[in-house]
Amino acid sequence: MTAITSADLTGSNPAPVAVRLLKLLPGLGRWVLAIAAALAIFSVLLAVKNVNPVDAYSKMIDSTFNRPRSVQEIFVQMTPLVLGALAVAVPARAGLTNVGGEGQIIIGAVAACGTSLMLGDSAPGGLIIAAMLVASMVAGALWAGLAAALRLVAGVNEAISTLLLNFIALDVLLYLIYQPWRDNPVGQPTTKELVDTAKLPVVAAGNKVHIGLFIALGLVVAVHLLLNRTRWGFRISVAGGNAEAARRAGLNVGVLVISALMIGGALAGLAGMIHFAGVEYKLRPGFGNQLGYTSFLACWLARHQPFPIVVAALVFATLSVAGDSLQLDSGLPGSSVNVLTALILLAVLGFTTKRKVSRS
Amino acid sequence: MSVSKSTLRLAAVASAAALALAGCASATESVGSTGDSAAPGKGTKAVGFIMVGPKDDFGYNQAVYEGSQVIKKEFPDLDVLTAENVPEDDTAATTMEQMIDKGAKLIFATSYGHLDAAMKVAAAHPDVVVVQQGNTISGAVPKNAGTYFGTVYEPMYLAGIAAGASTKTNKLGYVYAFPIPQTIANIDAFERGAQSVNPKAETITVSTSSWCDPGKQQAAAASLLSQHVDVLTQHQDCTATVIQAAEKAGAMTVGYHADASSLAPKGWLTGAVWNWGPLYTDIVKTVLAGDFVGSKFNANYRVGYKTGTNPFVLAGFGPDVSADAKAKIDAAQKWLGTDAGSPFVGPVEDQSGKVVIKAGTVPTYAQNDALSFFVKGVVGKLAK
Repeated sequence: MTAITSADLTGSNPAPVAVRLLKLLPGLGRWVLAIAAALAIFSVLLAVKNVNPVDAYSKMIDSTFNRPRSVQEIFVQMTPLVLGALAVAVPARAGLTNVGGEGQIIIGAVAACGTSLMLGDSAPGGLIIAAMLVASMVAGALWAGLAAALRLVAGVNEAISTLLLNFIALDVLLYLIYQPWRDNPVGQPTTKELVDTAKLPVVAAGNKVHIGLFIALGLVVAVHLLLNRTRWGFRISVAGGNAEAARRAGLNVGVLVISALMIGGALAGLAGMIHFAGVEYKLRPGFGNQLGYTSFLACWLARHQPFPIVVAALVFATLSVAGDSLQLDSGLPGSSVNVLTALILLAVLGFTTKRKVSRS
Repeated sequence: MSVSKSTLRLAAVASAAALALAGCASATESVGSTGDSAAPGKGTKAVGFIMVGPKDDFGYNQAVYEGSQVIKKEFPDLDVLTAENVPEDDTAATTMEQMIDKGAKLIFATSYGHLDAAMKVAAAHPDVVVVQQGNTISGAVPKNAGTYFGTVYEPMYLAGIAAGASTKTNKLGYVYAFPIPQTIANIDAFERGAQSVNPKAETITVSTSSWCDPGKQQAAAASLLSQHVDVLTQHQDCTATVIQAAEKAGAMTVGYHADASSLAPKGWLTGAVWNWGPLYTDIVKTVLAGDFVGSKFNANYRVGYKTGTNPFVLAGFGPDVSADAKAKIDAAQKWLGTDAGSPFVGPVEDQSGKVVIKAGTVPTYAQNDALSFFVKGVVGKLAK
């Protein structure tokens, strides 16, 4: 990604970009160092398991980056992570911890599925997709709004309420796919497959990457602008920094809290819709498969900043795809990729914290 | 709202980079999936196994893994690829394709919920054979796909006899994952086995909606034990939690998937356990020779006591099983192997007392695979 980015940058506007990149270097250096440290620690674990680390890494790189299918899969898996991480970043700016991505993603997918079932197979695909997009965002926003309301009315910490709402969302999903929406009365409880016209279009025939990726990247820019270039973005960061001061300055903190959390919920709901209509096409008992929690980590890795979120999501998606190689090429247990992911997360958060301290 | 130039530039760069990368990927697409579709899988150099859980789960996935290791031993030239913790969604297709990229032209997708992904991979790769363990392909079976399974409910019927003969409270407990036909047949067979020696026996069911969630298993076991259940059994992939809970409470256990008598030296009755080696070996041989298309495996293949090759066998007995019960189990096993034998010989009544299978009818394996109701004596509602 870096190679292409810098090439494009120098091509369009050389001077200021070079300066910008130079400024980024120290931070980037720390990142590289952190990841290298994580890989070094993981090497020890590999060696303990009688696997040659150099061998394991080179095979991992080969099967992850040299196979078109793997590269596509990285982009496919990255898409909902970007949106899920944005869903954490927006409330974080208002000082809120949204741990409810998991549930909001599920509810978004449920709303999308319900919409497609309501419109039926004969409706035009474009209409179904548009309706699913809207429905998923509204549903995700309302689901997160529950937590916001609980905070304002009863003073319930949103980190707790959003987390608990995840389990309720999962039960809602299970109820729907076990009973009213179940496709086949015998067999695995799932909904019926989305009609072809309502599936998100892919970028090219035979390619798995779907337009959801561009929606997600577009929203990265939109969220960046929203947080940094609008009055609302400024206000929520004031409310997040010091709610009392914000209140005395005449800001309606309640509305800011609700809106920040609901926008987060809408983004997560959209992630659910995109994963549903872009990849899964059916709701299954394990829908989402921890997407919300992975997104939460990705957002922390990116320190709640929209553009770094793209990188963090890319890292998590790459690791997830690389996990197959650890099993298939090196014969390691399936959970080893989780160990590697945790090491990278700890190393990056640990090694790069200084930067945040010095800034704030 | 003012948008600065630098922001716009960043945005442009981000989308350009994404486009470029996605473009790269699509340009080099369409590798693989070529080759002779007449004999899919023929002469494959590698065989892949995907498992939904960990390969050391004291259960379903461990049995699969052990089966895969038999292949490794029987076919030393084959590269045996195993992947554990593969979820039952689209990621399963990705993992299977990674195996194809590594040269596998035969893949065992071993969890019930892997079927959708398996069918997708089979459709995209006509030169690769994908066999799925335990589910059923409805409609026409593609040339390069199939399902296989043992009649798990037959040994569960026998285990039900052990449970029915041993219970003191006449209450048996069943922890299950999903209300799929395979599971429903197990529960029904278990209850009917128990009834055959103890008409008062009832089976109380609890669903966990997960193949392996120790937290939920613990809660389910506790709930059953509090209802005075004194024999616990399960349809879960990982079995240790429920067995340990039963042993701790002084209840008896019927195991599933793997012999876990070491976990419950006091309460172990018996269990139904897998021995996949021989069947896996048969499938690999058929595919290697290029004979898969049109073979018995190119269908919904089922084996049981009637075919004499059930991969699901009865585990050893624990101390609580009486000699009388053992003799009854032995006789029942022989009877199940005959044309007249079945756990579901009519009359079979559903929970409301309605006769669903008429007196004298012996349902086929295929019919048992589509079972969708709880029999009388089973407590618990099926989602309808």
